[in-house]
Amino acid sequence: MHTATIASPQALAPVRKSFVRRNLPYLLIAPSVIMLLALIAYPLLFALKSSFYFWNLQVGPQPLAFVGFDNYVQALNAFDFRAALTNTLILSVLGTAIEFGLGLAIALVLLQALPGMNVVRALLILPTTIAPIVVGFLFRYLYDPGGGLVTWVLQSLALPIPAEGILGSPSTALAAILFVDIWQWTPFFAIVLYASLLAVPDEIIEAARLDRASAWTILMRIKLPLIRRTAIIIVMLRFMQIFNTFDTVLVLTRGGPGTSTRTLGYSLYEQGLVNFNVGLVSAQTWITVLIVNVIVALYVFFAFRNEEW
Amino acid sequence: MSSRTSFYTALTYAAGLLFLAVFIGPILWFLALAIRPAETAFAMPPQLTFEPTFDAFRHILLDPGTNAPQLVNSLIVAIGAVLLNLPFSVPAAYALSRFKLRGKKNIMLWYLGLLMAPPIAFLIPYFVLINRIGLQGSYFSMVLVLQTLTIPFSVWLMKSFIDEVPAELEEAARVDGARWYTIMWRITLPIVRPGIIVTSMFAFVFAWNNAAFPLVLSSRATATLPIGTLGYFATSGVTWNYIAAAAVLAMIPPMIIFLVFDRYVVRGLTFGSVKG
Repeated sequence: MHTATIASPQALAPVRKSFVRRNLPYLLIAPSVIMLLALIAYPLLFALKSSFYFWNLQVGPQPLAFVGFDNYVQALNAFDFRAALTNTLILSVLGTAIEFGLGLAIALVLLQALPGMNVVRALLILPTTIAPIVVGFLFRYLYDPGGGLVTWVLQSLALPIPAEGILGSPSTALAAILFVDIWQWTPFFAIVLYASLLAVPDEIIEAARLDRASAWTILMRIKLPLIRRTAIIIVMLRFMQIFNTFDTVLVLTRGGPGTSTRTLGYSLYEQGLVNFNVGLVSAQTWITVLIVNVIVALYVFFAFRNEEW
Repeated sequence: MSSRTSFYTALTYAAGLLFLAVFIGPILWFLALAIRPAETAFAMPPQLTFEPTFDAFRHILLDPGTNAPQLVNSLIVAIGAVLLNLPFSVPAAYALSRFKLRGKKNIMLWYLGLLMAPPIAFLIPYFVLINRIGLQGSYFSMVLVLQTLTIPFSVWLMKSFIDEVPAELEEAARVDGARWYTIMWRITLPIVRPGIIVTSMFAFVFAWNNAAFPLVLSSRATATLPIGTLGYFATSGVTWNYIAAAAVLAMIPPMIIFLVFDRYVVRGLTFGSVKG
């Protein structure tokens, strides 16, 4: 083959593709990446710089003094940081788990494929389509201590309701916010899990049934592993969405009473857009971004480790 | 049919009705609030029957029409966000679907990661930046920062549609000597046009439902519907009928889109990961 290699004209003078042709895929992706980088790099760098200054827009339009890591120390020691982090984690973990469980149960009912259930399936998605802030309005009405529907239902069932109302009491407010999220997003899990379970080939199920596997075994050992990748993606999405929630809290409780429903997102909102404490909120931003990145990185590492792309 | 089977059938239907009561009931109850006489809003026990009135809608849309401009603003911002996103996301989705390239998985995960970033963390910097460049209160400021959501979303969803176009079609054209842009523009994109429309519809919902960015970037004149509705809570004596009417207006477009594009809902919600 030695002579052939030397004789081959291609080997001596490789076909020159134009610059555009060679880098085509990257050139097509570049505009979107540049746009997105510009839109996220600026805020992050801005926040990084501001986090080292004392800067409150109520005091003056410009940063007043370089304060080193004071803002970070202040943010981590703030009376509400620990509460906000705990509440955020409670909401995210419980919310995702309950929504997945209930959604799976609903999906299994829908999979019975009885006539007419298609209508239920189509309508079921409606809560998920509503803007979270509007869902906040809706539940503020339902939770109203004077004449809200939820209050009335609980009263009719003779369940104890705090005198300050469901949203007014530290013992129930966080659960009430959790319930709102469950109401809005359980249908999301139900519909997505239904569609993915529907796509599991019948032959596999038939084979298992012939082997006398129970319905429970088929679900846990065959169906769920087959829709693993979907489950990974929707669980991660939902977890992060709840983690970042602030608008529902803004409408329903403004983080109160006390710090009982304060979330990281709401804390950022309050420091930034109510107190205009740019320095402090920038430090909080970086702390939040780091926490989010650690969670996502751990998740991606463990969940996608065995996934082909 | 054995009695056992019919029992399970009945149980399944009962469950279906329960789902509707729990998940759709509250929406209907809020709709009722928008068209019921104000004095019955908090009646105990709740009043199921009432004389329907469209006073609240008349108030918010016509006289004095507090929310009418906000409805227009919401449309401008959401449609603007979708239109601006297309020239960025279509080529990227095409490239990620059609070409072998290094780090494809990482690029895709990077887009996905952006959809999981905390929007609130970016609000203050955007607020300061937009003020500095003199765009405060403009539609463009909102349309621009919404790209952090619409571009990654559209790339993912559109890629899943382009993936379905058989590569042989492009091969045939290439053999005939067609250039890459002719292939993309004349062959692939026309085939995936339905996919691009579906993607745009869901991206519209994404932008329409976003409250975080307009909360910070809009002015009184450019406030979107949810932000305008929030204003009712600031005035003394919350006017619940108006809130409900405005909220119902905000709910309608996403609901219509989801019901019309029912076939693609799962796909849209999972960014194309589940074909549904």
